[in-house]
Amino acid sequence: MAHARISMCLPPDINPTQAAIAYGCRALPKLNQELQSEDLLTRQKALMALCDLMHDPEHVYTAIDIGCLESLKALLKDSNDMVRIKTTEVLYIMTTHNVGREGFLEHDVILALSYLLNDPQSDCRKNLHLAFKHVAQLPSGAQGIVKSGLIPSLVWNLQREEEEIQVLLLDTLAACLMEDSTEALSSRVVPFLKQKLLSTNNDIRSKAARTLIAVSIPLEGKNQVWQHDVIPILVHLLKDSVEEVQANAAGALMYAMVTTQGKYAALDTEAIQPLMGLLDSSLSKARLNATKALTMLAEAPEGRKFLKPYVPIFRILENDTSEAVRRAAKIAIKVIEWKP
Amino acid sequence: MYDRRVVRGNTYALQTSVLPGQPDPIEIQRQQQAKRRALAKKRAQEQLRPRTPEPVEGRKHVDVQTEIYLEEIADRIIEVDMECQTDAFLDRPSTPLFIPAKTGKDVATQILEGELFDFDLEVKPMLEVLVGKTIEQSLLEVMEEEELANLRASQCAYEELRNVELAEVQRLEEQERRHREEKERRKQQQWEVVCQHTETAQKVAARAFAQRYLSDLLPSVFSSLRDSGYFYDPVERDIEIGFLPWLMHEVDKTMEYSMVGRTVLDMLIREVVEKRLAMYEQKENQPPTRKPEDELGGSGGVTEPPAGYEQSPAQPQGPLVDRDPLERRPDDGRYTENVVSQERKLLEEEEYEQARIRSTSGREVLQPREDLEP
Repeated sequence: MAHARISMCLPPDINPTQAAIAYGCRALPKLNQELQSEDLLTRQKALMALCDLMHDPEHVYTAIDIGCLESLKALLKDSNDMVRIKTTEVLYIMTTHNVGREGFLEHDVILALSYLLNDPQSDCRKNLHLAFKHVAQLPSGAQGIVKSGLIPSLVWNLQREEEEIQVLLLDTLAACLMEDSTEALSSRVVPFLKQKLLSTNNDIRSKAARTLIAVSIPLEGKNQVWQHDVIPILVHLLKDSVEEVQANAAGALMYAMVTTQGKYAALDTEAIQPLMGLLDSSLSKARLNATKALTMLAEAPEGRKFLKPYVPIFRILENDTSEAVRRAAKIAIKVIEWKP
Repeated sequence: MYDRRVVRGNTYALQTSVLPGQPDPIEIQRQQQAKRRALAKKRAQEQLRPRTPEPVEGRKHVDVQTEIYLEEIADRIIEVDMECQTDAFLDRPSTPLFIPAKTGKDVATQILEGELFDFDLEVKPMLEVLVGKTIEQSLLEVMEEEELANLRASQCAYEELRNVELAEVQRLEEQERRHREEKERRKQQQWEVVCQHTETAQKVAARAFAQRYLSDLLPSVFSSLRDSGYFYDPVERDIEIGFLPWLMHEVDKTMEYSMVGRTVLDMLIREVVEKRLAMYEQKENQPPTRKPEDELGGSGGVTEPPAGYEQSPAQPQGPLVDRDPLERRPDDGRYTENVVSQERKLLEEEEYEQARIRSTSGREVLQPREDLEP
């Protein structure tokens, strides 16, 4: 009798590790069912197939609509490592789309993901942090992360994680702290960031400086930054080799120097020279932050005295390409030449 | 089935009469019965239809085949038992490729170059489609990536701007706060200065007013004290304390002297008078009329010594005048003299002393006054 299978060699475009994807609109519901099956292999194959499908935003929307997130949440607690890794990967791919992020927030996935923060598998954690990073790009996502009280654990993990993951963590923290930094400040984020500023990895330094910018926006943050003597390190970083680091350090200084104590701490560590050096950097962000930082310094009488002879440089900056730099230069000149 | 005896439907409703259009249920039942009867009849007639008569005795009806080829009709199928045994250890061989038997006519054809189609020409549109689709897809992907990169860049730019603006806002806030505090401090200082000014001005004013108010106080106090007699003129006081007592003392002394003098004089006069009285009494035994003039003068002198003595320095004849009233009175006062003479003596002595003192003082007063007058 003839069988349906003609030969034992499978066709070339079937991936044995993936489940078969049904046609059209049946694909996702079937995969959802397979996700809930008891058989490990089925679940794994379904997850692999889902990974591929989730790159398409329409599939993401459909998947969330039929409730895939619930099954994925259940799978997060699975005992098999592969399953967890793949689940976190699927979730991370979903967060790259806005629909996915919003679905996350609605279905409370952040809390479910947070149980995996101490997972032994580093891939799992990496995907987890990637997912968090993308969620934090959305302002409501960042708020969701803050509201679920994850910030202290994230800050704590900053100490213990490997470097790659630290980079992701710093990105997440920077975005979250832009929203609300009170919890982080009470969980000693400033000393940790201070250590990170001295790390050898360029990415880590630049992202740590960017997180410091976010931290020093509220007044409490500024006070803490001054108390923990971070300002001298930031001044030192102004002479760093990487421009991104310089720009971010200038930004952090700009915020830290709003308070009088910050200003005088910076003046004590001779911040003016490096900042002047930054004024002709190629990154417009660096120029902007440096100009603003010098404006802060010029509020103090000693700063004004120092900066008086450098006014011509600011005049040159007034013809800069970027509109923001031009405005900042004008304001700087006005502040330097102000008489009480 | 419709049976008239069994009532169907609503029994409360009236039994309606049959509608003309519809057949009567009884009629329906009758029709059905009729049909059944007809069927039964038909069946019965079927049975009564003539069939093949029964075989005659001794003969059998047999079915015979009348076709050309005889067919064996057997009730029992011929069975033959056959056995077969496969080799136990042989695997199932792989299914051979199914090559269906060749059926039909073999036809051959030969296609020469260029007869069917021109490959290069035909392939172009297909290739175009294929390549176009591939490139379109890749362009889409690249554009997506570019868009993402642009988004990220604009996000970064926005973040920068936001940071800068926020820093600016904070700086301005800080500036405002400092200025405000400075202003507050200065206002406070000014306020304190003004307060002090007003206080000092008030103090000065108060002091000036108090001084002015009190400037009268001293003179008025002094004047009131002086008016109520708390102050004394030292000269007056001196006069009062030192001079007048001494004066009075001196006056007393002078009076005393004069009194003593008068007393002495009176004694003298008394003695003289007594002697004369004695003499007169002696003489009265002879002429009793001449002696009362002396006694009168004496008593007159006694009663009016101050007047007499006041005029005494100018009138050395005074005592004589005194003597005369003394001499005149004893006539009237003979009896009184005798009875009250001793009392009088005492009284007179006192009076004399007082009068004398007065006269001495008066004299002395007179003397200084006379000294003063010119």
